[in-house]
Amino acid sequence: MNTSGQSPSPQLHSLPRIARGWRLFVFYTSALALTGLVSMLFADLLWRTGWSASRTVLLALFVILFWFTAVGCMHGIYGFALRTFGTRQRITALKNFRGQNIDGISTAVVFPVCNEDVVRVYEGLRATFESVKKTGKLAGFDFFILSDSTDPDKWVEEERRWYDLVRELDALGKIYYRRRLVNEGRKSGNVRDFLNAWGRRYRYFMVCDADSVMRGETLVDLVKLMETHPTAGLIQTVPALINAETLFGRIQQFANRLYAPVFIAGLNYWALDLGNYWGHNAIIRTEPFMQFCDLPQLPGRKPFGGQILSHDFVEAALMLRENWEVWFAYDLEGSFEEAPQSLIENARRDRRWCQGNLQHSLVLFAKGLRGVSRLHLALGIFCYLTGPLWLAFLLTFNWIRWYQKYTGLSTITVHAFTPYLNLSGTAHALLIFIICMVVLMLPKFLSLIDLAHDSQRRHQFGGLARAISSVIGETIFSTLHAPLLMLWHTRFVVTNFLGMSTGWPSQKRADAGTKWLYALRRHWGHTLIGLVWGALMWQLDPTLFWWFTPVLAGMALSIPLSVLTSRMRPGIHARQMGLFLTPEETSPPPEIVSLRAQMKVHEITNDTTPRHRHAGLADAVLDPYINAIHVSLLREKRLNPVYAEQFTKLGVGSDETQQLAEKLLIEGPDKLTAPERLLVMADQRVMVWMHQQTWQRTGDSLAPWWRAAILEYSRQ
Amino acid sequence: MEPAVNPMALLGASGQLAGRPLEEWNAAYGKVESYFHALRVRNKALLGQLVLRVLERAMRRAPDESNRSATQLAAEEMDHVVTEWFADVLQSPLTKADQTLSTRGRLALLLTDMPGKWQEQFLRPGPWPQEFTSAMRETFLRAGPDFQLSQMMPRPLDLGPITTLTNLGRFPYVRMALIWTLFALLLVGIFILTHQ
Repeated sequence: MNTSGQSPSPQLHSLPRIARGWRLFVFYTSALALTGLVSMLFADLLWRTGWSASRTVLLALFVILFWFTAVGCMHGIYGFALRTFGTRQRITALKNFRGQNIDGISTAVVFPVCNEDVVRVYEGLRATFESVKKTGKLAGFDFFILSDSTDPDKWVEEERRWYDLVRELDALGKIYYRRRLVNEGRKSGNVRDFLNAWGRRYRYFMVCDADSVMRGETLVDLVKLMETHPTAGLIQTVPALINAETLFGRIQQFANRLYAPVFIAGLNYWALDLGNYWGHNAIIRTEPFMQFCDLPQLPGRKPFGGQILSHDFVEAALMLRENWEVWFAYDLEGSFEEAPQSLIENARRDRRWCQGNLQHSLVLFAKGLRGVSRLHLALGIFCYLTGPLWLAFLLTFNWIRWYQKYTGLSTITVHAFTPYLNLSGTAHALLIFIICMVVLMLPKFLSLIDLAHDSQRRHQFGGLARAISSVIGETIFSTLHAPLLMLWHTRFVVTNFLGMSTGWPSQKRADAGTKWLYALRRHWGHTLIGLVWGALMWQLDPTLFWWFTPVLAGMALSIPLSVLTSRMRPGIHARQMGLFLTPEETSPPPEIVSLRAQMKVHEITNDTTPRHRHAGLADAVLDPYINAIHVSLLREKRLNPVYAEQFTKLGVGSDETQQLAEKLLIEGPDKLTAPERLLVMADQRVMVWMHQQTWQRTGDSLAPWWRAAILEYSRQ
Repeated sequence: MEPAVNPMALLGASGQLAGRPLEEWNAAYGKVESYFHALRVRNKALLGQLVLRVLERAMRRAPDESNRSATQLAAEEMDHVVTEWFADVLQSPLTKADQTLSTRGRLALLLTDMPGKWQEQFLRPGPWPQEFTSAMRETFLRAGPDFQLSQMMPRPLDLGPITTLTNLGRFPYVRMALIWTLFALLLVGIFILTHQ
């Protein structure tokens, strides 16, 4: 960064390095000890039936998979203990921050968007803005919509609704809108572009996602925390999932709200000031971020090389490398986001995340990174590798059974080094199975006990009985969902290793429900695998078949599971029964009430109904006011020399653009490619000229499309 | 303000108006009305009056410019009327080169909420209420605060052994060799698994 002064690297730490190291050691040793013991039992079981090379493979896969499960379980155990007995080792408890004066401190709240549902994004921003206003600290915050939209209709809609929002909230000079000309670096590039233009005006910036909503008090608290902890570079909140209506969405939302507090408390136990960044709903100290966190290009070709897709983990690692602290403010309420509403949408998001996380394998061994950063990166990679590893485990197990049956070898169980357990082979296998189930289920059980302790939270979840029923329902669903994730993740990992890049398409956030035909197209492979695998298992060993039914059922029933859980009716029905209730459903905070009310208004007034193709272009050219806003925003951009250069590079102001505009008028928008339309719309001079021409020309010198558009205007 | 023209005086015996068929003026009326409608002038009496004012100017030009349609003339006059009025209200010199005046004027109308608060002032000759002129002249749209430009630069990141691996990928035939190795490993694996 070309700034006048270099930001000093902080030297202060909330905990001595040795104490932090001890915590890490204790935590991961617990997971390792558990893995070691159970792996010994498993190895013993394999030994009893005769060792073989395939059993070595099976054991190795078991150890890896169990270790990952044990780490999850330890997060639950440690988190539960910390929540029960309390801890001062959390950023909100280290110092008294509430009394901190933040007058005169400037913070930017940025919403990077790319072809998103404009109404939803802006209503989230409105709810956040109004909430901040209520705190009386609005003067310290500026809001930015940072658009990367490439759809001309979205672009114009963003501008139009930005003006409406600013007018309604009387927020001219408080809520800003900027669209980039060149989408270099995607989301991280978008934020970097903002920082290059305005970063130095703000001591902090808060990154929100397109569907984020933040409580004003929480934003103020985050600024106070940053001020109280001058060595903190980034504070990540834990967003609560909200506004789910489908059964899938509500189950995910419930799981997030019930399990996350315990799990994140466990995460904070070992991470402390060496936490992580999840890309949004986090506050960042601008100067060190600008100085140290610009992302390098990775060597090699896509999908591994090139631009870092999942930038957040790496940015946190770079911040930590320079001794700045990264914290989880896991006990700060008032941070919200939305999640996919169906299995398929969830998988689509996973596909992007999978590519981003696998790409981290290139950064994993980078020199200078903190060990904990490598751990965060490795855990992220493992999240996606467990799918193929689990599949390999099941296939290897099946292979062993098949080999045994078709080679005619009998299973002769022998005593091994655990004879004192006095277990039969079946009992031995059952014991390991039970341990695995306990390790998987314990965090859920502990979350329920944690809930039982807190009467207010218990009430917010609809009471303990309903919460227990919901956990049972969620467990059944996740059991069926897990094999699908296994198959999906395997596919994503394999396609990534084969060099097939996924791109970064805009997430579909709307709840339309999955159609049967679409589900069939997406899940026929899963169903087929489930049925064929099931038939083979039945032939191989009917007893074993029944043990595999949860896995096989998830695959075989994937189509109805996907369709039914994506519908709103089952979600509403479950809610009426008191299932999967969350605090935001039973006692919604004012920001969420406001957001829902505004969305309802849009729904009633049909404001969100999709308009005809090129409606944005028609607005930007024909509407005298939208044209004026559009041109004015283009003109303002020219004041930034970087944008001015980009305008020239794009060809704005050239004769070619003028010719394209003429073609657009005479032949209509369909005769131009999307980039050509964007180019015309990026040229302020041409846009003024087109406005004039469309209203001055006679019908025969305009394409029929324009004549129809003008007619529509005169009828409005 | 120009002297008013009585349209009836321009109505010829052939049923033509200013030398053009009535249908042509009807189309011109529609076009001008559409534009003012797009400017959210919703008061019908005012709208009709403004359209007629534009048409009168067009009719005055019509006899001398017989090669141009009534719609073209009316649209041009509409642009002139509006831009001249912007120049007066914004106290900005009217030059042909200044393409921005019309945009600035429309933006000012929007920001002062002409359709809601000042509809009766639109295209009316001055003097205008002080509040209206101040609002028109002083409001401006800001999409962002003043730039404070800087340039983030990525710091070098030594990827360690990964760099060697990615460099290895640049050698010719490495992929092919890798695929062959994987194939050989697969064969070895199958052999081991089937010979227990």
